[in-house]
Amino acid sequence: MTEDLHLAVEHTHGSLTVTTVTGEISFRTAPHLRARGLELIGQGHHQLVLDLSDVGFCDSAGLSALIGIWHAAQGAGGTLALAAVPDRLMRVLTLTGLHTVLPAYATVADALAAHQRDTA
Amino acid sequence: MHQHVSATDEPDKRVVPLPAVEARRMDAVRRYDVLDTPPDGAFDRVATMAARLFDVPVATVTIVDADRIWFMAAHGLDGVAEIGRDPGLCASAVLRDDALVIPDTFADPVACANPLVTGPLGVRFYAAAPIIDAEGHRLGTVNILDTKPRSITLEDTQTLADLAAIVMDELELRLSALHAVRRERERRKAESRHAEVQHRRAEAERAAREQAERDKAAIAAFASTLQRTLLPPALPTVPGLELACHYHTASIYNVGGDFYDVFPLEGGRWALFLGDVCGKGAEAAAVTSLTRYTLRAAAQLNPDPVSVLSALNTALLFDVSAGSRYCTAVFGVLTPEGTGFALTLATGGHPPSYHLRPGEDGGSRVRADEVRPEGGMLIGALAEANFAATTVRLQPGEALLLYTDGLTEARTQDGAMIGDEGLGGFLAARPGPLTATALVQDVVALLDSLPEGARDDVALLALSVPTPQRAAAPGTVTATTHAAAAPAADTRQEL
Repeated sequence: MTEDLHLAVEHTHGSLTVTTVTGEISFRTAPHLRARGLELIGQGHHQLVLDLSDVGFCDSAGLSALIGIWHAAQGAGGTLALAAVPDRLMRVLTLTGLHTVLPAYATVADALAAHQRDTA
Repeated sequence: MHQHVSATDEPDKRVVPLPAVEARRMDAVRRYDVLDTPPDGAFDRVATMAARLFDVPVATVTIVDADRIWFMAAHGLDGVAEIGRDPGLCASAVLRDDALVIPDTFADPVACANPLVTGPLGVRFYAAAPIIDAEGHRLGTVNILDTKPRSITLEDTQTLADLAAIVMDELELRLSALHAVRRERERRKAESRHAEVQHRRAEAERAAREQAERDKAAIAAFASTLQRTLLPPALPTVPGLELACHYHTASIYNVGGDFYDVFPLEGGRWALFLGDVCGKGAEAAAVTSLTRYTLRAAAQLNPDPVSVLSALNTALLFDVSAGSRYCTAVFGVLTPEGTGFALTLATGGHPPSYHLRPGEDGGSRVRADEVRPEGGMLIGALAEANFAATTVRLQPGEALLLYTDGLTEARTQDGAMIGDEGLGGFLAARPGPLTATALVQDVVALLDSLPEGARDDVALLALSVPTPQRAAAPGTVTATTHAAAAPAADTRQEL
């Protein structure tokens, strides 16, 4: 079920919410990631950064969940950015061209800096 | 007592549906127009799958009519076409949105009086998931029955719900087919209206009756085609080209998310495609059908590869379950050119293909060049997705290999994935001839040599232009199919 994937709201910076994802994003856990992401957006966290530094594994099911969250964020007039993306997921993002809409940063600090630049 | 699988559900005291809800439900049942249709392979397969998955003697797919429960498919229940709407089992299951599980019918105050329980069948265990359309109407149920009490896990219940969703997908595909057929009939009718003015009324009525029969036949043909296309088709013979393919599914039911096809276009040209639907098993296979039809239909309208992928992107985005169905694909158009072919290939988020040519020094190493149009995006995810195409020329003695990522993600002895580099190196170093057949054989042998083989779905499609010495023979085709004998423990996950 979902016990091997966990999302925690780490902190908020103005309109920006950093959420840490812990565990493995697989065929089984991806629906939970999608549901939690949509829930956060529903609660008003429209500018989301997902910190994936504690994600051990993420396959194409995880990609589907991220696209779902991105669509929801877009619909709410917000954004979704990723930090510390695992290698395999980064390769898939690049191959599928999704890195052009889903910005991926090396660290959460980089994502925050980029956000501050954009909103400055 | 009913075992309630949803925490939010109230104990179900309703044994009679609300009239207004029931009227709208019956409208939906009529709209899908399946009652009293002949037995159908697709639904029989769901019933058989349910019986095998849950190890029960009886499994059924039912549609609930106003005054009866009609069996669209039944496994282990010969000769029963319908039963009454007696409360307790199917009639109760169709009144709720979640699954109904009755571990022991004797202990259930409503089910214990149902004729299936008190009658010769002696049902002791019953579980069902409703078949729910996009507007929330419950058309019927997917049921499993046993003659001894038992319990099932929450995951089993989810599997049952998944099977019900597969039935719904199939019904939706049929309904779209029905609408398409009707529109086409209407168009043709309008065209010939002038000539038909003279027809007398009786003749018109007879024509309408025949029309209905033909519609029915067209829909039946369409449904049977849908079922067949859960598997990749046999490849055609293309003059001057050698084709070879390989299809491996991780599902023991031999349905998967990988797909390919080769088919003729006008003017002596040929279209080909290969791709991978995100996801696994039967759910992915349903999207695969939609994808294949769309690619074929779009290619007939305008075979430009970028236009074809854009059309597929739009179709997936506007599908009933839009937002959760994606695929990667390459689509190409082959045009005969001199002694070879020009191949214009577009990609949507798919791994690169390989163009293989003899080494320039005539030595054993071949040139293995990636064919990677820049900028092709995942298909079905974004309305504004871009696709890109490039053209390569296939000369005699050259070959092209298309594959899905089940190949590059297969793991070698040391646990690392083969990867793009590994595949490129393998193709450059392999000593075999540059023919489609040898190429596919060698790649399959590579997969077979791995400790775990291919764990995911794998599709391979290779084409080669024979050298003049070999060109005397017409186009040739070879195909291999592997259905994995997946361990039983994995079965549920694959569905």
